[in-house]
Amino acid sequence: MQIPLSIRSLSAHTVLLSALLGSGSVLSETTIPNEPDQVIQPEVDRRDVKNPKIKSSDFEIGAYAGILSVEDFGSSAVYGARLVYHVTEDYFVEGLYGRSTVSDQSFCDVGLCLFPQREEPLTYYALSLGYNLFPSEIFAGKGHAMNSAVYLLAGVGNTSFADESHFTFNVGLGLRVLPRDWLALHLTIRDYLFSTDYLGTSKLTSNVELTCGLSVYF
Amino acid sequence: MPVWAAQDNYQRVQVDDPYLELHTGPGRGFPVTQVVERGQWVEILMRRTDWFKVRTEKGREGWVSRTQLGSTITELGVRKTFRDVVVDDYLGRRLEAGFAGGFLQHDPYMLVRVGYRFSDNLSAEVVVGQATGNYSDSMPYYIAVLSKPFPDWRVSPFLSLGLGRFRNTPRATLVGATETESNMANAALGLEYYVTRRFFARADYRRHVVFVDQNRINEYNEMTLGIGFFF
Repeated sequence: MQIPLSIRSLSAHTVLLSALLGSGSVLSETTIPNEPDQVIQPEVDRRDVKNPKIKSSDFEIGAYAGILSVEDFGSSAVYGARLVYHVTEDYFVEGLYGRSTVSDQSFCDVGLCLFPQREEPLTYYALSLGYNLFPSEIFAGKGHAMNSAVYLLAGVGNTSFADESHFTFNVGLGLRVLPRDWLALHLTIRDYLFSTDYLGTSKLTSNVELTCGLSVYF
Repeated sequence: MPVWAAQDNYQRVQVDDPYLELHTGPGRGFPVTQVVERGQWVEILMRRTDWFKVRTEKGREGWVSRTQLGSTITELGVRKTFRDVVVDDYLGRRLEAGFAGGFLQHDPYMLVRVGYRFSDNLSAEVVVGQATGNYSDSMPYYIAVLSKPFPDWRVSPFLSLGLGRFRNTPRATLVGATETESNMANAALGLEYYVTRRFFARADYRRHVVFVDQNRINEYNEMTLGIGFFF
């Protein structure tokens, strides 16, 4: 069969071209190591992405005010500061420092005044463990839901007044409502238990405190 | 890459599980109101305890647990999962703190401690305590070294040795008594019970030896029960 000339010449050209290319590739393989400039720049940039740190908000700082009733020493306004660290979704730890006043009026009424003045300042601190007993949501109207929790508290601390300090246990129950992720409202009822011996015999006293507080997460 | 990705400096992850559940609050009991499907991206806005607040591509927000977010892929692709990021970020924390209550000899006692974990087996801590007695108040403060031979046990025993000072303040009502402050050494045996990875209960028995003066050594036993957590 007669092959047309044009095709024969084309195939001849192809052979010649491939031979040239082949020798060319051999040539380039031998010369590239000595040549620092790359002809083709890679289009892909190396991405050096650094992960941004995730903002955490496990701490809560706030203030509270309310009423503290000290057994035999009357009821007075109390105010204080609170620092909370949320360890897990269930547990948190809480540090408190509060101030109030005590009055020995009830002792004076029976002729046994204890203090130089009728009122003495009281300070206390407490470290407590909290447990979120009932996490829940509070619905305000139709379109708003606020996260909330009923929590239990128990801890140890110290109560000082009239130059005496008393080792103090505390147990409490609180309600926390979060109108925003960073803002919390607290309603707490707590009992501070310590022993006193003002009348010669030592007795365990129960001192109930009711407070409202406001705190922010950070 | 989604267009909105470049706007804020939040960590972005791609969902790799069949779907990601978004709760209304940072807790397992809060209802799941929406899901994000595999392949979609979410932005992580913040973390509270083990829950992460995320925003979807549609702008919806919700809370996702750490365990579920662990199977997402970061922008770095398969090289780094979100789990690695979390381990880098806060699960490998070494600073711990705690408090405890109990008895020092027969007086009620409380203490606060801050510690640093050098390795799984070895840590050091600074401790300040306060005992309220009938006749005097005591305040030991010391630095202690803790050794945990079995750190991976859920109930992990430890040994501790401490050195510090012991301050004793008599009650104001006692005439002629003066405040003393002496050197002290102590040793302890205890147990840590890990409630979660970052939160534990701790029981200590510690014996304090107080060098009051050359002729007098006082010894006190301390029993406490407390909690500790990692920052």
